[in-house]
Amino acid sequence: MEKKPPPGDPVDCREASRLLSAAYERKLTADESRALTYHLDRCFMCRNFDSQLKFLHAASERFRSE
Amino acid sequence: MRPAGGLSRGGKRQVAVVRFALETVSPATMTDPRYAEIEGHRPYLVRYALSQLRDAQMAEEAVQECLVSALESLSSFGGKSSLRTWLTSILRFKVVDLQRRASADRARLEPTDFAAEAGDDAWLDDLFDETGHWREPPQAWSNPEAAFEQRRFWETFERCLDRLPAAGGRVFFKREIAGEDTDTICKDEGITASNCWVILHRARLQLRACLETTWFGKEATAR
Repeated sequence: MEKKPPPGDPVDCREASRLLSAAYERKLTADESRALTYHLDRCFMCRNFDSQLKFLHAASERFRSE
Repeated sequence: MRPAGGLSRGGKRQVAVVRFALETVSPATMTDPRYAEIEGHRPYLVRYALSQLRDAQMAEEAVQECLVSALESLSSFGGKSSLRTWLTSILRFKVVDLQRRASADRARLEPTDFAAEAGDDAWLDDLFDETGHWREPPQAWSNPEAAFEQRRFWETFERCLDRLPAAGGRVFFKREIAGEDTDTICKDEGITASNCWVILHRARLQLRACLETTWFGKEATAR
């Protein structure tokens, strides 16, 4: 388990989850995007969360259109 | 495949409501081919109203008023948007109207609703430790889209939606399921955009945890 963020990681999982969710409502700033990409490249847990948000979004769309 | 789930909620009583609504319209409207099509959208409309009002009786009232209005103004539906989108836009006004009428009750029933759901970040401490890491890391869900074909999945999905705190349930449904824009939701709810983001962030975290426990977790152990 990657328990500690690598040195230089600008965001932790808590903040990364906030940005991943916010991206569905607004465009992230360049700094936010960069920080998030850096974190996601190194954290499989947040990559899983990212995939799960995509799944929730797809499930919701499906729920609406059926 | 139709995501049924709680869409069937209401059962016979809902059918009676729609019949009443349909009987109040003119014979000219009843020959409109879209008349039958409207009936097909009823379960979704009921689900929408329930997500917003969390009260079966008020939800019935909203859907009934929506259907009466829709049937009365069917000739003005130009077909530019989908019928469901048009019906939902009518229902949205009925819901907001009912919420305003019940707002005194609502304030009494959920006095700390927004304070608890958007006021501070304390709730995040349950999910992340003091170093900002997941207390229960999200798992990899294998081939999750396969769940879309399973009726039981949609029942689970609805149960998880129902478990969201009141404001979370309303805002998530409007944003992700009905696809309304954030500005409209903020206006209806009387909240700021950043409150809205906090509520959605929290709702998504709760939903994903609920699905992991009640659907993907079970699936994973069964495999």
